[in-house]
Amino acid sequence: MSNLLTISLAAAAVFAIAALGELLEQRAGILNVGLEGVMLLSGTFGFMVAKTTGHYLWGFLVALAIGALVGLIHGFFSITLGSNQVVNGMAIWIFGFGLTTYVGYPYTGPLGLKQFPNLLGLPPFFILALVLAGAIWFLLYRTHIGLQLRSVGENPAVAESSGIAVIRLRYLAAVLAGALVGLAGGVYSLIYNPVWSYNYLQGWGFIALALVFFSLWNPLLVLLGAVLFGVLWQLSLYPELLFPNFFSRYLWRAVPFLITVVVFVVMSTRWFSLRWGAAKPQALGLPYQRES
Amino acid sequence: MKVNVGNTTIRIERRSTLRWWQSAVASVLAVVVSLVLVGFAFLHVGASPVAVYREIIQYAFLSQYGLPQTINRAVFILLCAYAFIVPIRAGLWNIGMPGQVYAGMLAAFSVAYAFGAKTSVNAPIPGAIVIPLMVLGAMAGGALYGAIPGLLRGKLQVNEIVTTMMLNSVMLWLVAHMIREGGPFMGRTAEGEGFSLPLAARMPQLWNLPLTVYATLILAVFLSIVLAKTTIGYQIRAFGASPAAARYAGIREGFLCTFVFLLGGLFAGFAGYHYFAAVPGVYKIPKSYNDFGDFSFYGLITGLIAQNNPIAAIPVALLFGGVASGARFMQGKLRLAFGIDYALLGVLMLVIVAFQALAYYRLALERRVPAAVPQREIGESRVESPHH
Repeated sequence: MSNLLTISLAAAAVFAIAALGELLEQRAGILNVGLEGVMLLSGTFGFMVAKTTGHYLWGFLVALAIGALVGLIHGFFSITLGSNQVVNGMAIWIFGFGLTTYVGYPYTGPLGLKQFPNLLGLPPFFILALVLAGAIWFLLYRTHIGLQLRSVGENPAVAESSGIAVIRLRYLAAVLAGALVGLAGGVYSLIYNPVWSYNYLQGWGFIALALVFFSLWNPLLVLLGAVLFGVLWQLSLYPELLFPNFFSRYLWRAVPFLITVVVFVVMSTRWFSLRWGAAKPQALGLPYQRES
Repeated sequence: MKVNVGNTTIRIERRSTLRWWQSAVASVLAVVVSLVLVGFAFLHVGASPVAVYREIIQYAFLSQYGLPQTINRAVFILLCAYAFIVPIRAGLWNIGMPGQVYAGMLAAFSVAYAFGAKTSVNAPIPGAIVIPLMVLGAMAGGALYGAIPGLLRGKLQVNEIVTTMMLNSVMLWLVAHMIREGGPFMGRTAEGEGFSLPLAARMPQLWNLPLTVYATLILAVFLSIVLAKTTIGYQIRAFGASPAAARYAGIREGFLCTFVFLLGGLFAGFAGYHYFAAVPGVYKIPKSYNDFGDFSFYGLITGLIAQNNPIAAIPVALLFGGVASGARFMQGKLRLAFGIDYALLGVLMLVIVAFQALAYYRLALERRVPAAVPQREIGESRVESPHH
């Protein structure tokens, strides 16, 4: 049972780090629906590099760098060119899925590195996720730059006229978020499930995106949601722990996805939707053109 | 932004709208650029890209084996493109094509199963009744499964991108449950794949192609008329252009969102029927059914390239059907890694979106008349605006 908890927290770390990155970016008004693609790209290239060099460090560095680069590209299209952010995100997802299917194929199979050690009995990246959640909460609500970032996501025109560099802050958020999502991709492919197969992510990026919506854009609730989904995912893999001989194991695999939809339905009730509407960054997904 | 070259100023300007031919040029250029980029992968294995593409075209469009394969794949892509096009016209994203394809496939095989199709390939079942019922079942299955995210979006404002994606995974595992480890649709001898459709329940062919191919052409005409000439088609466009204005004009949002996903899902469900119950050589739910689910995302790109026009989507789908079947052929011949067609899919997606975004920018050339050098008086300071 404690083993189940440990591996659940390892899964939670992936969800949390990706969702925290996305949250940071959405707070600045940028929507990237292509997390799945970013994570596939960073995870696959990280995996290839780690397998070739034999070192985790290089794998993680590459995952971070690829994530930041993709974040920058998404930023360029969304911020500078002002094109539809949903379209851009979709492009990144399909690009990631298509390219990694081809590029990663020769690397199909296990990573073959020594297992990453736990820290204080916990998966190390879960500890990192805890620290990140706290740090991002502190950044957003207790620092000057956090206040600026949030105002950019609420009303960029007003922020600009009060002297905030909207464009620069949005780029900063996009690149930082990309790096975090990229790291999450690396944590998945190097630590959580270090066996490459094509399209291995199975929708985790989209679940992380859903978590941001569920959290009402609060980093601490993101963390809570990530832990719940981590546990849920593990239970769906080993349902016999709770319900022996009930349903086939394939049907259980569908449960986390079904629950995501159900949570969305519950959240659309009036009590939630009022709070949801209030918490949502007002300028989310809207391009901002500086008046000349 | 502007750049001075000699006495000419090059200025980058943003257009507010695109004419149809401007976006068509952007689409065609994007396809060409993507094919060139992917051609580098052939260089990587020591083959000349030109020769490889010539062989792909030769196999996919000019050979007796390749052409039917190309058309069957193209029809699958085209139907998936329609599943994407109908909702996107209303500004909604259907990325649930895989789930809707699986739902149509399962519904079709459920009908066959109910008629005792699992017993043997020679099971004497009345094809004239079973085949139409399978088609209708597949359409209904895809439509109903598609309607769920539409209803949630229309009534409860639930983000359709996330729900369609989640429902893809739900259906993926439901199919696995049905065909693996003693599932009800598991074949009698095969491991991990569905039963083979009896001969009597297979879609008849005309000129070497299943009738679903011709039916799809009729559906294409039907869809363009619905979108262009009917009230509901107008409402869909109005809602896509401005949901707020459409609501103000009395368009019922809940109904409209459900309708577009219902209609879209119907096409995807039919695609599921076509590929698994009508294409020669398949006639079952194969082990690698998820490959075809992923393949349905070609429909998304086809829709984007065709600018959501159902008729323009036909040549685009044919091109991709050809590239896919030709690439699979070359993959074996050149020992390329698996997935060169998926690489093309990914590159295309990024390039097409980039080109369609960049098409809004144009370069304006301005000749400056060489002016007399301004007389500068001592003591006068010129302040340059930082914006220039």
